[in-house]
Amino acid sequence: MLLEQLINGLTLGSIYAIVALGYTLVFGVLGIINMAHGEIFMFGAFMGVVVTHTLQLPLALAFLVAIAVTAMLGLFLELIALRPLRGKKGVSHLAPLISTIGVSIFLENLAHHFFGAGNRPFNTSFSQLSIQIGSVTIYAVQLVIFAIAILLMISLSFWLSKTKAGKALRACAENLEAASLLGVNTKKMIMLTVIIASVIGGIAGVLVGMAFNSVTPQMGLSMGLKGLAIIILGGMGSVRGAMVGGLILGLSETMIVVFGESGYRDAIAFIAIIIILLVRPQGLFGQPVTEARR
Amino acid sequence: MLAELINPYYLQVLSFILINIILGISIYITLSTGQLSLGHAGFMGIGAYTSAIVTINYDLPLIVGILLGAIVAGLTGILIGLPTLRLQGVYLAIATLGFGEVVRVLFINWEGMTQGAVGISSIPHIGRELVTGLRDTGFTADMIGIRSNQLISVLVFLILLVVTILLISFFVRQHRSRVGRAFAAIKMDESAAEAMGINITYYKVLAFAQGALVAGFAGALYAHITAYISPSDFSYHRAVEILIFAVFGGSEVIAGPIFGAIFLTSMPELLRDVSEYRYMIYGVILVAMMAFRPQGLIDYNMIHKLKRLRKKKDQKTIDEKESKRHDIGS
Repeated sequence: MLLEQLINGLTLGSIYAIVALGYTLVFGVLGIINMAHGEIFMFGAFMGVVVTHTLQLPLALAFLVAIAVTAMLGLFLELIALRPLRGKKGVSHLAPLISTIGVSIFLENLAHHFFGAGNRPFNTSFSQLSIQIGSVTIYAVQLVIFAIAILLMISLSFWLSKTKAGKALRACAENLEAASLLGVNTKKMIMLTVIIASVIGGIAGVLVGMAFNSVTPQMGLSMGLKGLAIIILGGMGSVRGAMVGGLILGLSETMIVVFGESGYRDAIAFIAIIIILLVRPQGLFGQPVTEARR
Repeated sequence: MLAELINPYYLQVLSFILINIILGISIYITLSTGQLSLGHAGFMGIGAYTSAIVTINYDLPLIVGILLGAIVAGLTGILIGLPTLRLQGVYLAIATLGFGEVVRVLFINWEGMTQGAVGISSIPHIGRELVTGLRDTGFTADMIGIRSNQLISVLVFLILLVVTILLISFFVRQHRSRVGRAFAAIKMDESAAEAMGINITYYKVLAFAQGALVAGFAGALYAHITAYISPSDFSYHRAVEILIFAVFGGSEVIAGPIFGAIFLTSMPELLRDVSEYRYMIYGVILVAMMAFRPQGLIDYNMIHKLKRLRKKKDQKTIDEKESKRHDIGS
């Protein structure tokens, strides 16, 4: 029983980690919080529903459609909400935050109009597959989620640390102006970052749809808020922090359900935020901030 | 005659506009030190629930309940403010967002007190209480020739109007005082303000607590006007709605959030077809305002220009009079 819950917690935690990765990438490069990330994630989940349930097409296609749609959303987000604010004089650092809040509330209600307010099932025969080891039941979906999470994490780390584009991205994260002077096409890198972050969110959306079998327009908000909690917990802009923070949150949420306080499950994330901000504002893996970034 | 003029529905819309103006003011105060709070829906909820619970369970008079609601919200503001104001900008926004969600989860789960997700109904209504109070003194609605539900809405509207005007005049005066100057200095540049000898922590907590107090006050009024509250009234959407009053109208001068609240509350009422797409429009407004006019529609410059225009007009009339006098003289 406990072991099963542990596996559930790990699954949940890996999904949280993937969502948090999207936040962390954008924050690392642009220094802003993308409040619309949760809604992009929700659109990814809905694409999964539309492809597998409404159109009865295979699951692999769901991933492709979700990736394409969320990439488009990321592109629009950058072009409409973020780029106009960049480099403008006299714009406060809160402007991108407010602007992405606008995008988030727009997308949520768009989904409301398209798909309705209710729960949408995500029925694939795949989600019923399970393996029995002793008394423990492991669903194939959980394994897939775990595998995809690890794969994403490894490939992202590899891409960031070993490839030329990754190097350029890190240069942008360090100092946008200097990177631009050294010949990095910062405009392109920023756009790439936002798109990659959105696509990661979209993949997480399909995974969540598979794991929990329910998709609603409101899920973007709750998942987005948890993603925020995780990047604060793990340290803003830290890829490792997002992974560890996600697992911590996933496990502690499952544990509180085991101990019977399921109603307060959603509060954990925020209590964690407030505590971590008081005790260690830079997060578990973050660098202490010496100067506020503009 | 009077009976046909008073439409309870319009008066209710006007009352909601007034409550939204108070909410707009609450976010304006917090923003006037450059802090973005997404927890105002939480403070509003605390005010509403406190007032509803004490008036129902302990039979306290309405006015005590409302004031208590505001005070509890304000104290929570200080409690939340003191630790989180070390944080800046984005961190503060997320922490307050987290606070708002915790409050909502608490309302849902603390069923013994808050009746959970169902919400609290049959909260004493300001207007109805007043009308029964008036009846005891021998005054009824028939005496001025209107129905009693009309009298209720008129009374609610008048009370809110007085309260709102008092609040506005208080904050206009505060804006011109030492405190207001300190707020503005902190908004401009925190380190410079600190170097000038302004106690930033004190003023930031003050602004935050004032915002929380006013939001709690608005929440308490809301509870006693709708007579029904539930946790979903104080969700993230409400926080964004409060924020948008200031973002749209303008956060530099107090006229901004007032205009924002009036316009954005009456818009869905005037254009019925639009109300369905309300939140989508809110989203577009937020993005567009940030891109084109981040300080909001009404800003210092506009107020300044209006004043100058008026001065010019006055000057003109004086000049005209002068020249006329000359004409007569020659």
